[in-house]
Amino acid sequence: MKRRQFGALATAALVMGGPLRALADETCQSPYMPKITGHEEYVYIWTLGVEGMGDGQDKMVTVDLRPGSETRGQVINSLSIGGRNEAHHAGFSADRRYLWAGGLDTNRIFIFDVHSDPANPVLHKTIDTFVKDADGPVGPHTFFALPGRMMITALSNDDDHGGRTALVEYTDEGDFVETHWMPTAENMRGAEAVDGAVADGFGYDVRALIRKNVMLTSSFTGWSNYMMDFGQMLGDSEAMKRFGSTIVQWDLHTRQPKKVFNVPGAPLEIRFPWGPNANYAFSTTALTSQLWLIHEDDAGEWQAKAVADIGDPTKIPLPVDISLAADDQTLWINTFLDGMTRLFDVSDPHHPKQIYEKKIASQVNMVSQSWDGNRIYFTSSLLANWDKKGADDQQYLKAFTWNGSELVPDFELDFYELQLGRAHLMRFGSSELYSA
Amino acid sequence: MKQRIVTTLGAILLASGGFAGQNSTPTTPDGSIAALFPMGEEFEFTPPIPGSYRLSNIKPAPDGAVLTPTGTKRDLSDLLDGKVSLVSFVYLMCGDVNGCPLAVSTLFDIYDSSQSAPDLADNVQLVTISFDPDRDTVEAIDSFAYPITNDATADKKIGWHILTTEDQAALKPILDGFGQVVDRSDDPDKLNHLLRMFLVDRDGKIRNIYGLGLIDPRLMMTDVETLLIEDGTL
Repeated sequence: MKRRQFGALATAALVMGGPLRALADETCQSPYMPKITGHEEYVYIWTLGVEGMGDGQDKMVTVDLRPGSETRGQVINSLSIGGRNEAHHAGFSADRRYLWAGGLDTNRIFIFDVHSDPANPVLHKTIDTFVKDADGPVGPHTFFALPGRMMITALSNDDDHGGRTALVEYTDEGDFVETHWMPTAENMRGAEAVDGAVADGFGYDVRALIRKNVMLTSSFTGWSNYMMDFGQMLGDSEAMKRFGSTIVQWDLHTRQPKKVFNVPGAPLEIRFPWGPNANYAFSTTALTSQLWLIHEDDAGEWQAKAVADIGDPTKIPLPVDISLAADDQTLWINTFLDGMTRLFDVSDPHHPKQIYEKKIASQVNMVSQSWDGNRIYFTSSLLANWDKKGADDQQYLKAFTWNGSELVPDFELDFYELQLGRAHLMRFGSSELYSA
Repeated sequence: MKQRIVTTLGAILLASGGFAGQNSTPTTPDGSIAALFPMGEEFEFTPPIPGSYRLSNIKPAPDGAVLTPTGTKRDLSDLLDGKVSLVSFVYLMCGDVNGCPLAVSTLFDIYDSSQSAPDLADNVQLVTISFDPDRDTVEAIDSFAYPITNDATADKKIGWHILTTEDQAALKPILDGFGQVVDRSDDPDKLNHLLRMFLVDRDGKIRNIYGLGLIDPRLMMTDVETLLIEDGTL
């Protein structure tokens, strides 16, 4: 029986129901995951505890975003996890039932059940053995969902606490599967260095373009830097040498590194577009303030090049989170030190142009947008020891609507006033994902 | 066996221009099992060379009691033991083109094409389990399996076990063990699920998990061939 025959059989028996599918930074999630293409109902905010503030613990904070809800724009749940871990990034499993969240200092991973009651996540499991399981990587950062598995980038290692690190896979159940060390100049693991690139072995983000079997990783810095006071680090010339300068192209299926590109200045977030013929990805460099394009050329080979400056690179505005619109036409780029967000027209990815900018606060880190691009959310914290001091240490969730020409304030929550802590990563939730 | 498979495939490719020849782009390593299949529009890459990589040992496949189309109760572990298996979960009433029909049509492609590499039959099998035992009764799966159980050329192809379970209680440990998510509502017609297929080795270990975007027979058969190389069959 060929496809046509089975199709006829299936049509004859046509009923409702099918795979969990798209119903929104929703636009920057793993492609294996169901998306919220309607209105997000909740935003989960992985928040760093602050000593002497509230209970002082890291917590998963849930804010109601449901239109018409009496509690819209309010914190409706705060789940403390028992200590401070340098809470940082988080990501859903591919079935979007669980939200994995990491601590960069303690290496603990917290898995929250978000499907049983999306308004009230509960702690499902804690992994305390990340470094031991993976045999050395430190600082679980990006959680990128694969079918049945979680791909985790680490930032450091327990040998010298520098930037050499690995990718680590766990099953959805939280059991260790395998470690894939980043290629280094001493051990390229079969990869090719492009144009004299020197493989530093550093890690940060991971994203994949399934259709091309391409996976990309970026490179930041190790524990000794990300746990250091920001001002002290800036004054330490040796510490400032310990930043990544590479993006690695991997074979997604085999997990083998293929190419190492020279991308100086700590390339951080990686975003692939959604378009069926869009064979490229964007990244930004923290220290050199550039927007980079990693793209497939006419010969089918992947290349990397800087395509735009972000703000005034001489002032080191420190690009942090980015968010690509679902239609691949625009890219939000936050810069931490000047508290600005900038919108780039990336309809020609080789020639991006800034079309809008707005100061969000004294500092800004994460940005997430709804699938339709109409609602834009910002949070504040970068790292506990890198956030600004005194009055400039503003910690918040700010919600805006984008009317096509400007950001219009919707609501904001002061996380210090609420005794919650430092607001970091955002992920959207919706009960619609789990209803048949 | 490797030499025989390569010889068979070579003859097919010479005689017909090859399945892969339907697309002008080279799509698979010469002589690989994956060369039996054309490159789908949604998979714009050449599969890796079989055996050039290692598949992770993800977790053990679960055991559980299943029912065959004749109503015979079997242990799933017995069915999986000794062969490389592609395990899929479907329900027969599923009408979503990106759901069970996609999985089943891909499996039929693999099943039908396997006669071009007859030695695979001793080493590889398909296992399809319903996650709707209330409606996918023994009689229902027997009817569904008719094209396979009555296939005059079945002896030249890989085996295909179409299975159901006695009830939800019997099904649950199997779904949980594989990690196959199914959302059930009060409406029995609605079974939302994530499309998943699982590669299980001869020792009953899950070695890969495929979801939407990975249901590529070239990729799956490249993994199958990699396992056959790993265990020394090829």
